[in-house]
Amino acid sequence: MLPPKTDKKRKINRILLLLFVFVGIVAFVGWYKLLREEPQPDWVTATPEMRFKYGSIGGEHDAGMPYWIWYVLPRIFPEYLPGPGGYASLGVAWEQGQELPAGFTKKVIGFPRVGNTCALCHIGTYRTKENENPTFVEAGPGNTMNVEGLFQFYISSVSDPRFNADTLLGEIRLVTELSWLDKMLYRFLIIPLTKRAFAERRAQAEWIYRTDFPEWGRGRDDAMNLTKYFLVELPMDDTFGPTDMPSVWNLKKYAPEEKTMNWDGASHDAYSVIMDSALGILGAPPKRTQEFIDHVKWLEEYLSAKQAPKYPFPIDPQKAAEGKGIFEQHCVVCHASERTGTPVPASEVGTDRNRIETWNKEAAIATNKIVEEMGIKRKGLLEEALVGYIAVQLDGVWLRAPYLHNGSVPTLHDILEPVENRTKIFYRGYDLYDSVQVGFTSQGSAAEQVGTRYDTSQKGNGNGGHLYGTTLSPEEKDRLIEYLKTL
Amino acid sequence: MTAKPDPTDIRCDRVCRFLLLGIVLLAGAILLYLVLRFTRDTPVDYADIEEHFKYGSMGGERESGFPYWVWKALPHVCAAHLPDGKKFPGREYQAFGFLYEGERDLPVGMSQRRHLGMDRVFLNCASCHASTVRDTPSSPPRVITGMPAHTVDLMAFERFMFACAKDANFSPVRVIPEVQRLGGKLDLLDRYLVYPIAIHLMRDRLLMLENRFKFMLEQPDTPAWGPGRVDTFGSAKALFNFPMEKAPKRESIGAADFPSIWLQAPRKGMQLHWDGNNTKVEERNRSAAFGTGTTPPTLDRPRIERIEEWLLTREPPPYPYPIDQVLAAKGAVVYREYCANCHGAHGRDFSGESVGTVTPIEQIGTDRRRLDSYTYDLAVNQNLLYAGTEDPEERFSHFRKTFGYANMPLDGLWLRAPYLHNGSVPTLADLLEHRENRPPLFYRGHDVYDAERVGFISSLPEENGRRYFQFDTNLPGNANAGHEGPSYGTTLPADEKKELIEYLKTF
Repeated sequence: MLPPKTDKKRKINRILLLLFVFVGIVAFVGWYKLLREEPQPDWVTATPEMRFKYGSIGGEHDAGMPYWIWYVLPRIFPEYLPGPGGYASLGVAWEQGQELPAGFTKKVIGFPRVGNTCALCHIGTYRTKENENPTFVEAGPGNTMNVEGLFQFYISSVSDPRFNADTLLGEIRLVTELSWLDKMLYRFLIIPLTKRAFAERRAQAEWIYRTDFPEWGRGRDDAMNLTKYFLVELPMDDTFGPTDMPSVWNLKKYAPEEKTMNWDGASHDAYSVIMDSALGILGAPPKRTQEFIDHVKWLEEYLSAKQAPKYPFPIDPQKAAEGKGIFEQHCVVCHASERTGTPVPASEVGTDRNRIETWNKEAAIATNKIVEEMGIKRKGLLEEALVGYIAVQLDGVWLRAPYLHNGSVPTLHDILEPVENRTKIFYRGYDLYDSVQVGFTSQGSAAEQVGTRYDTSQKGNGNGGHLYGTTLSPEEKDRLIEYLKTL
Repeated sequence: MTAKPDPTDIRCDRVCRFLLLGIVLLAGAILLYLVLRFTRDTPVDYADIEEHFKYGSMGGERESGFPYWVWKALPHVCAAHLPDGKKFPGREYQAFGFLYEGERDLPVGMSQRRHLGMDRVFLNCASCHASTVRDTPSSPPRVITGMPAHTVDLMAFERFMFACAKDANFSPVRVIPEVQRLGGKLDLLDRYLVYPIAIHLMRDRLLMLENRFKFMLEQPDTPAWGPGRVDTFGSAKALFNFPMEKAPKRESIGAADFPSIWLQAPRKGMQLHWDGNNTKVEERNRSAAFGTGTTPPTLDRPRIERIEEWLLTREPPPYPYPIDQVLAAKGAVVYREYCANCHGAHGRDFSGESVGTVTPIEQIGTDRRRLDSYTYDLAVNQNLLYAGTEDPEERFSHFRKTFGYANMPLDGLWLRAPYLHNGSVPTLADLLEHRENRPPLFYRGHDVYDAERVGFISSLPEENGRRYFQFDTNLPGNANAGHEGPSYGTTLPADEKKELIEYLKTF
């Protein structure tokens, strides 16, 4: 046996210790700079409304955009936006005085990141007159939000050759002073990883670039295809069925036992719908499942209690009272009865079929399986083919224009007209309310400037069906509409 | 192991060590020299606060500064774009209405800072908020700080800089010899390295800015701002790089008069800017500081705070010509009845029910282009401007879209002509007339005072070879309508108008 070389051993030990300390420091700095989580500031959760609009649901981890990249993108790539105004040109609900639009969250996970919340698509926006700032309604339909435009803006910008460290850091430098280390991290890690993350998911977003499909336009999303391509990662098919962003207030109206959810009755209960939508925002399994589940439960509680806003113009009580009679005679059978909240076969209601064709039993089974594998329990999606569209409750119906599941009929006035009299081409997403037609202003230069064009002859955009009440006399229609304003 | 001399080992003897030490020391000295030369960041400072306002640095040179010597050389290198420059040898920028005092070779409103191894210059607050008054064409100009820079034609200046950047002459080959001719005494490092790079960077930056500003400067139907005006929020849109070619036409014109900036303390909480779009003085100041070339990381906070502090209580100079006190006393009565509610109890007391609030556009009836140029979408984007600084208090959160124009206090009113937000009415006498009787065409940029009508002389197209700017109220954005009718004093009898004007001189 050789004599122990204590000197050498001590040396090795010392080197190992140094190495260990060094690795420890690097690991700590790496964790601190890239992974440490800081809670959002207190104001974010000060009220339920604020929490709904700005409170993180965990979307900053995988689907999150590094804050400074998010910040400078509109300055570097304005050509990928529909107009001046940065993110505002996409119709986000951006409150005056707020750093971020509602539905966008800022949270430090190593470095500040931007994620999204349900409020991205579920804030209603209206103005009662031209010279007025918008009123935002939490849990209302995201009638101005161009979510497809936002996807396209991100994807086009990130895949542009100018999305590189020199250009981005050159613009960031004008806004904030990053430390040397932060600059290095942005240059060699954060920017390349952001680019790669988008490149990896590019194929899943292919269908939003299809030229044979119309754009979703403001206030709509192709929700079931989003689930198919992004969550289940199924191959692209030829279906296309964007639907109106729904209002999500007063969810307690859906008694979970008999009613189904979504425009098409695809889901069992509100909890499942919130869960699935929230998972869509995360774009990946939640990092901390229990925390996420608790947040979803809070959302369900908040949205169950939240009530629809009152109609902001005067209502003629006499006319409305008369309209109530007409409502009871013609509408109650579907919209305030046992049948409400259950699907009416598409063949019966006659509205555009494209939406129900975007979904099927296999996709439902696959989705339920994926969510279950995440360790999340929910009743989930109905594992059967869809038959038609839900007869919806009408609370706050005034703010839920345009009407029908695909938002193909701009106003209440129009929906009581036979198909040939309904507007064929209009503009969605302009927030000026039209109290005469009852819906949003959808024609004229301002609506054209702000809104997105909607052509009812295009795929998924049909405005046929739901011919109920179209044969009423003009006076009866007038009274009925007056009553609908009170809901 | 014992150290055994290696025959191939080249040993360093004393001389060798000495040499090595020398090399190391020399390299260190060179490094130290370069560090000292290129990392110094020292502004030219002024003990006197008024001098600091006129010539002190806000930090804009760090991001936007022109090398001093390039600034000096440009009027010569790009003489073709500045024909009037020849009239003012050594002070060529006077052609744009910039003011020069005494022996100084930088105009009022230009600060200097040693940065990146160069003297760099850029505009400060005084470029738009200081100007001159002359009693007669032959009297010397008096520089007054805090008043609107009514002679400075910022648009013409910007156009010159952009045209120059595009000119083939804007190159080191042309500029550097010109600098040397002017006495620049650039050393070798400057001549062959620092200035060539600086000139290229400056040109790139100007071309980038031109691209972002072109929606304001190159629209055929956008009238020239003329002296004393700027499209304030057009610059904000340029900063955000909004694709303005997609904007509706009604948002395209936003030219407005430079305001006076005295007495900020009593303005706190009022709706500031012509359309009253911000209620926080400090935020408004940092917003305006973008115009002095600053960015949130480069803003020189101690130096701008010194000015902010001073402006809180800085008063305008009193009216220097005789005032008929009897007439003025009668005018006070008229003022109280017609004006005080919106414009304050008098020139120093800003109390009044509607002072610092917005009068709806339908009611005030003045030109609406400036109002329409400021949009809700711009307001919310401005929340992001200072989101990246250490101090969360600095973040912008007070910009609001409004639907009218703000009622301003009238301190130093005599120096704030021409009147209305777009500077479309040359004198107080004209402002008290109905629109048909206000001059449809007049000249801006003259600094000789018209004590008769209370405002600047506005009828002369030129004086001593110096041409003034013809302001056409029929052009879009320039309408001289509004602020008229019985409640605005335009229907008062002539003697009461005279009394009112006499009283307004005391402000």
